[in-house]
Amino acid sequence: MNDDTRLHDIAKRLGAQAAERLDVDKTARAVVERLREQPAARPSWVPAAWLRIAAALVILAGGALLARQLTPSRDEGHAVAHLVTDDLRDLSADQLRQVLNTLDETLESGRTAPSDSTLDDLDEQLLRAVLRSLEG
Amino acid sequence: MAQPHPVSAEPLLDPALIAAWQRGDEQAAAELVGRHARALARFLAGAGAPEADMDDLVQETFIRAFRSMDRFRGQCQFRTWLLTIGGNVLKDHGRRASRRKVMPLDEGVRDGRGDPHQLAEAREAEARLAAGLQGLPRLQREVFLLRAQQGFEYEEIAAALATTPGAARVHYHHAVKRLKELIGGEL
Repeated sequence: MNDDTRLHDIAKRLGAQAAERLDVDKTARAVVERLREQPAARPSWVPAAWLRIAAALVILAGGALLARQLTPSRDEGHAVAHLVTDDLRDLSADQLRQVLNTLDETLESGRTAPSDSTLDDLDEQLLRAVLRSLEG
Repeated sequence: MAQPHPVSAEPLLDPALIAAWQRGDEQAAAELVGRHARALARFLAGAGAPEADMDDLVQETFIRAFRSMDRFRGQCQFRTWLLTIGGNVLKDHGRRASRRKVMPLDEGVRDGRGDPHQLAEAREAEARLAAGLQGLPRLQREVFLLRAQQGFEYEEIAAALATTPGAARVHYHHAVKRLKELIGGEL
């Protein structure tokens, strides 16, 4: 008899005595009794499944939100430009001229130094700042 | 409560008993326990179940099986499916009992039938195999028992364990090789 056959023979006998000693009728009665007493445990997987689905949805939503925040959005720029052109489209020619004049005034007032100013007009502190900026 | 299944000359097949149980027939459940309890006890004993806890383990396996019957789709025989549930029950039991192991080394002594010397040798070989099985990974141990002890085909084992017949065959051969290494010289 080779080892494989012998192994199978021993395996077939394994637990045979434990099985013989088992009171099958008593076990069957006990199982039926327990099933009768605790029948409600069967659908316990349903809430678990719903919890898993809810968790997956939260993760997806969170991921999408994070991705949206991390990705530089060009939509906002487009949206602003779109709104400005919409506003301008509604203006008459006079109103447009007025807007342009206001824009010129704004730009003029926003200049920090007159264009014809020279180095002689600068005080010691400003000269130092200019030299520092030239040094890089 | 549903009426018990009608008595007929031909015994009902497992799927018919399962369907009857799902309609509320308690007698069908008792019939299924009667058919498969001993095979389950043999499997559990082979997988290292303490004999003192055998009755509880068998009961718990059937309870789990009946409660999760909705998930049994007939992908394999009811018995194969039941035995794999038994493996899970035993694993949970092992965790709770801090991996308490009881080897039925004295079974032959308690059994008064046959030649005492031959019986003692046979029991010793069984004890060595049981000890060797404890040294195997769980999947190898269960595949070996399903094949060698219960006599299932690889296709059936694979369906019960949600794997392929090829993988089941590999697990079996690894198990045999390892068992021979562990106990081969004393077989």
